[in-house]
Amino acid sequence: MSEHFEVEWLGSVRYGEALERQLAAVEARRGGGPDRLLLLEHPPVITLGRSARPENLRSQPAALRARGVELFEVARGGDVTWHGPGQLVGYLVADLAARGTPDVGAWLRRIEASLSGALGALGVETRAIPGMTGVFLRADGPDGPRKLASIGVGLRGWISWHGFALNVTCDLSGFDDIVPCGLAGVRMTSVAEALGAAPTAALFERARLAVAAAFREGFA
Amino acid sequence: MSVVVTLPQLGESVLEGTIARWLVKEGDRVERDQPLVEVTTDKVDAEIPAPEGGVVEAILAPEGATVEVGAELARIATGGAPARAPAGAPAARSSAPAPPATASERPAAPVRATPVAKRAAEEAGIDLARLEASGPGGRVRRADVERASAPAQAKAAGAPAPAAKAAGAKPARPPARARDDADAAARARFGHYAIQEGDQVVPMSPLRKLVAEHMVYSKRTSPHVGTVAEVDLGGVAAVREQHKRAFQAAHGLPLTYLPFVVHATVRALREYPALNASVLEDAIVEKRDIHVGIAVETDKGLVVPVLRHADRLSLAGLSAAIEDLSNRARTKKLTADDLKGGTFTVSNPGRTGNLYGFAIINQPQVGILRMGEIVKRPVVRELAGEDAIVIRPIMHLALSYDHRAVDGAPANGFLHRVKELLEEAEFDL
Repeated sequence: MSEHFEVEWLGSVRYGEALERQLAAVEARRGGGPDRLLLLEHPPVITLGRSARPENLRSQPAALRARGVELFEVARGGDVTWHGPGQLVGYLVADLAARGTPDVGAWLRRIEASLSGALGALGVETRAIPGMTGVFLRADGPDGPRKLASIGVGLRGWISWHGFALNVTCDLSGFDDIVPCGLAGVRMTSVAEALGAAPTAALFERARLAVAAAFREGFA
Repeated sequence: MSVVVTLPQLGESVLEGTIARWLVKEGDRVERDQPLVEVTTDKVDAEIPAPEGGVVEAILAPEGATVEVGAELARIATGGAPARAPAGAPAARSSAPAPPATASERPAAPVRATPVAKRAAEEAGIDLARLEASGPGGRVRRADVERASAPAQAKAAGAPAPAAKAAGAKPARPPARARDDADAAARARFGHYAIQEGDQVVPMSPLRKLVAEHMVYSKRTSPHVGTVAEVDLGGVAAVREQHKRAFQAAHGLPLTYLPFVVHATVRALREYPALNASVLEDAIVEKRDIHVGIAVETDKGLVVPVLRHADRLSLAGLSAAIEDLSNRARTKKLTADDLKGGTFTVSNPGRTGNLYGFAIINQPQVGILRMGEIVKRPVVRELAGEDAIVIRPIMHLALSYDHRAVDGAPANGFLHRVKELLEEAEFDL
């Protein structure tokens, strides 16, 4: 039972291309390859999971495309989300049966726990909210929970793909086009905002290394 | 040979999933491990693969449906099946009627239909033989049933559908689909709320959803009637007071009121089996065994673990079993078996803000007893031939019963018997 991941940093990758790389990793895993974590950033894109409701997209698709925002419907759980520069995306390709935990609930909780560990190392205190998958700031904002990371996975048999998106230094106005994850009462925040730090490339780099370490070393 | 594809156990907390989309259709040939259907649960989209290669014989759960773990999703005819030629194979007889050979083998000429179509036809009270089959191999598909039942449904609102009656079928029950539509329409009219800024949105947990569905189902299925008795717990309080220290020493357990109430309830159920029953289509089943559900509120929600053969347990045995079940409920260690098979339920929802109240019947049972708070009250008693006002600990005990199965007289008789047994307070400790 292997607990760790082979971690790769892919840089900025368009959504469609990343999807193909994920599928290749799924095939490789099925053929006995390793569990992998693909870390990357996307150019601006909005993706709709299988539970997405159209009203959670606030802008017209044509208007989005005109602004260079791509739109994808994907086979992952969850509602609608935004990806873009400054957001650390992690695609986890793992065989849950081989890990000895063929339980998607436990899998989602373990992803949350690893991200929470990485964020703790960066000095950001987090919490989980029962019934709402994701990683939230420990302290709520004036208008409710503040979300740092979204999680949604797909299963092909027991091989899991898709994963998480952690807001590090991204411009949060990207989320204005959507109701993130269909949760109207939840506001998005980022590591930079939580720390009151400047959204620098150095901060993104620190976050990337902390997340890579949390997954490379095995689950908390 | 055919195999049934069911929704697999995806995780301990996953009780159900929603059919997001079918990747195959009826009649398609599939390879082993080929993804058949995408099922979503919270934050997870699972592709369910074919367990064997073969031909998709029937799709049993439509897109958008929410199904429980273990529910049948599809049936696949595996190789060598006499069922039918694979669609798309050379010389497939997809449009030809069933060959005569089949008919002569089975003189009754059974109608070929998909399982979904069979069920839909049964629900709608339609004779399959009267339907035009559009499926491959002359099979009746659900769409055929729906086409035929649409006009019948429209009429059903006014007069009974003559076609169904003439065919000697059961009276048409409105199919589930029609009710779903009605629900959706009602929700749109009365239940719409637009989320405002500042609102907290707390998604329902699977358990919460299950409880909600059960509550609505119970209210819709059985006409609830409530009746209340005032019970003097002075006798029980005295027994408790006298024995609680020795009981704690002997059994390591506190002696609470709940086991006394359960004990009296099972004795009364023995005398009034009408309350230890279920409604089964057009029959009432009175059960031999008495298994009492105990409603326990946990931080995750309401669960009702079951005291098996509660009538065979002594007061101490009931105490220990209740203690064990409530502990395991709170520490989430209950098994599926702990929650199954109750024949009657006792609910003890707490001490304050609860003079009395009527619980919703735990289906498919026909009665539920709900304990109110225990309060000292002035009551009139005869003392030495004189009426006197005395102070006694009083509890209101409320019975909800299913009026389909139980009438007022036995229900009141049962409740009165529970009251008598508690007031007599003859308990063996």
